[in-house]
Amino acid sequence: MRLTDWQRAFEEHLLAETPVAGTGFAATLLGGPTLDVETGLAIYHNAYLSRLQDVLRQDFGALWYWLGDDEFASLTEAYVRRYPSAHYSLRWLGERFAGFIQEHLVAEQSAPLAELARLEWAFTLAFDAPPGTPLTLDDMARLPPPDWPGLQVNLAPTVQQIFCRFNTVETWRAAKAKSALHAGQPLDAPQVCLVWRDQQICRYRSLEPAQTCALAGMVSTGWCFSELCERLAVSHGEGAPLQAVSWLKQWVQDGLLERRIP
Amino acid sequence: MSTSLPSLGYGLGLRSEYYQQILEQSPAVDWFEVISENYLVQGGKALYYLDAIAERYPLVMHGVSLSIGGPHPLDTDYLKQLQQLAARIQPAWISDHLCWSRGSAHQLHDLLPLPYTEESLYHVASRVLQVQDVLQRPLVLENVSSYVRAKADEFTEWEFLNALTHLTGCQLLLDVNNVYVSSRNHGFDAWTFIHNLPPQSIRQLHLAGHMDYGDYVVDTHDHPVCDPVWALYQQTLEHLGPVSTLLERDDHFPPFEDLLSELDKARSLGASALLRRTLCA
Repeated sequence: MRLTDWQRAFEEHLLAETPVAGTGFAATLLGGPTLDVETGLAIYHNAYLSRLQDVLRQDFGALWYWLGDDEFASLTEAYVRRYPSAHYSLRWLGERFAGFIQEHLVAEQSAPLAELARLEWAFTLAFDAPPGTPLTLDDMARLPPPDWPGLQVNLAPTVQQIFCRFNTVETWRAAKAKSALHAGQPLDAPQVCLVWRDQQICRYRSLEPAQTCALAGMVSTGWCFSELCERLAVSHGEGAPLQAVSWLKQWVQDGLLERRIP
Repeated sequence: MSTSLPSLGYGLGLRSEYYQQILEQSPAVDWFEVISENYLVQGGKALYYLDAIAERYPLVMHGVSLSIGGPHPLDTDYLKQLQQLAARIQPAWISDHLCWSRGSAHQLHDLLPLPYTEESLYHVASRVLQVQDVLQRPLVLENVSSYVRAKADEFTEWEFLNALTHLTGCQLLLDVNNVYVSSRNHGFDAWTFIHNLPPQSIRQLHLAGHMDYGDYVVDTHDHPVCDPVWALYQQTLEHLGPVSTLLERDDHFPPFEDLLSELDKARSLGASALLRRTLCA
């Protein structure tokens, strides 16, 4: 058997549902004095699945806590069979997990689970994203007054935004604390949760709708600071500049923004 | 007989569980081996600690994804990232495993054994030469633990390693525990394996623990080094002379002090082996 054919047979064995290899492939192998071929192949087969499931347990710890060992194991096994790893680093194994949950489970069940998976994945993305050069309060203090009206910003590279329809943040927090869950409860109004890294620590915060719109206006629509003040004038009247400065200061303090150079 | 490669002394595998203690305590560890893939990222805690530790200790890069024997083309993007990491931390050398970890279709994330045939030898040798061209240094390859072997084998594992170093100039990371594990599983003599490797090519030694199931042994890196592996290690050093020694631990992490004690044990057993070597010279 040529090397590539032998390797293809080995790969098929690892990816198969059963740890018992086809007789054709097993016949190409030798065991040892007390380790037969069947057991040797089962060691590789079991190690393949358990290594991948270990990674998913680490990356989706809250989901694991919610589902329990057995259900999480079934879900992750189905996932790695549907989407075997495509990246050399196991760090990316869970990239399609939230999407898979939506495909694999019925909608009522999948929606809150997928949302929690997206939140947990956002933490992994924030964890090792490039740091960028977030604006600081010192940068703002040094900004010449004539530059303020035209100030434009982007989100810093570590910032992730999760649109939450359920009490996912509360569920995540409870799972982290290993306390009782009241998971999967719809929120009265959807919220955006920001996840980002500040220095080496991952942080998160849910935004109220008005603040979400203001931030999106600046980082997505491309409003400059004076446009933000104009938009806020509708809801805040004369207090608009104060509200705009207050939010901007908060975002900068959190390390969420980089300056957009036109 | 002596190796011509200088020794870095006694090192530990760098694991995130111990980052803070390493920076706070500056422990008496001669060097650290880093898992390359853990640092092929663009930012965050791992790189922060890596940079800080690189300022204080010599580092070696140890990869698990090269898949030097795989059926796929070599991953040039991965090699480029290895180069970039090497430029960042200036490792004393770069190692991976004599295995394949990626199939024709998917990443398999295991250190899978190769048939030791001429076909495998030429396949691996040509790829080692490509990698060495990119990295501009000899590649260091580690022998892996295995649980099956191919009937088609035309070489023993040590003959294959000899031939590979001869064809490519690559160097060897001799994992003493892996030799022990495979010798138990396949029924060969561990010392015959080690004694027949080319001493001048052995750049580094690995020590680790395993799970002993009686009928077979699984390489798990989650236990302290066992007595037979310590004995084999001493015999190896007595044969080779000083070689950089690395203690690995990848699961069931003990308190850092316990790991340092185990490294001290390696240092002490290594010193007595080297003394015996001097006295018998």
